[in-house]
Amino acid sequence: MRLTRRGTLRGAVGAALAALMAGRADAHAGLIHGHGQKAHRHLVHDVDIRAFRFQPARVAVRVGDTLRFANRDLAPHSATAGDGSWDTGLLNRGETADIEVTEGFAGAYICAFHPHMKGEVGFGA
Amino acid sequence: MKSLLLSAAMVAATLSPALAQDPAALSDLEMAHVAYTADNIDIRQAHLALAISDNPEVRAFAETMLRDHTAVNEQALALLQKLGAAPEDNFLSQALNAGAEAIIDELASLRGAEFDRRYAENELAYHQTVNGVVGDAFIPNIENAEVKALFEAGLEIFKAHEGHAEMMVKAVAP
Repeated sequence: MRLTRRGTLRGAVGAALAALMAGRADAHAGLIHGHGQKAHRHLVHDVDIRAFRFQPARVAVRVGDTLRFANRDLAPHSATAGDGSWDTGLLNRGETADIEVTEGFAGAYICAFHPHMKGEVGFGA
Repeated sequence: MKSLLLSAAMVAATLSPALAQDPAALSDLEMAHVAYTADNIDIRQAHLALAISDNPEVRAFAETMLRDHTAVNEQALALLQKLGAAPEDNFLSQALNAGAEAIIDELASLRGAEFDRRYAENELAYHQTVNGVVGDAFIPNIENAEVKALFEAGLEIFKAHEGHAEMMVKAVAP
C-alpha cells in the first residue's frame, strides 16, 4: 500500500489520537511538525508511576517531545523537577499529565510527596 | 538513636499483650478494622504535626500521611461497600487506639525541635511495627482476594512511608 505524505501524516495523527483515546500506557504516538526547514518527529514518552517508581526511570528525549506521566498507584504522586521548573501537580490514581520538553529542560525529577522516588530525563534520543 | 529504640520499644510494648492473642487469627473484616484504625491514627498524628511543627520536612511528611492514608481509607471503604461488609472491632484495633492516645498526649505536650524529633521517631517505629504485622501476620492469612490485593497495595505505600520516615528522622536529628 502506498501512502502519500498527506496520507502518512493523517495516519500518524490518527494513530496518535487512537492511542490517546485508548489510554494506552505504552503508546508512543508520533506527531509530525514540519516547519518548512527541518521536520522533527515529536514523540510522546509514557512514564508510568507504579509501585512507587517511575517506569522507566530514565527517558531519552528531544526538545518538543512530550512526557506523559500516568499514576497507576493507589497513592497520589507527582513528577516534579528537582529545581521546581516543571511539575505535573498532584496525580490521583488513573490520572495522567503531559509535560512538554523545552529548551533548558531540567532532567532530574522526583515525586514531591515521596522524595525517595527519582526519575531522570536525558537528551539525545 | 536511643530515643528511637525507646520509641520502637514503646510501640512494641503497647502491642505485645495484643500480639500474644495472635493477629494472624483475625478474620478479614477484623484485619480491615485494624488497617482502618491504623490509618486513622496516623491521620490524627499528621494533623497534630501540622498544627504544631514549623519544620518543612515534618510538615511535608505529615501532608503525605494525610494524602496517602486518606486514599487508602477511601479505597478500603469502597471495597467493603462493594462486598457488603463492615469492619469488625477487635483486640488489636483496641490496643492500637490505646497506644495512640498515650503517644498523642505526649506529642501534644511538646514543641519545636523536641516535637519534631519525637514525631519522626514515632512515625518510623509505628510504620515498622504495623508493616511487620500486615506483612507477616495479615497478608498470608487474608482469605478474600480483593481484600488481600488492597492490603498488598497498602503495605507498599506504608513501606514507602517507613523509608520516608527514616529520612525525616535523619533530617530532624540534633
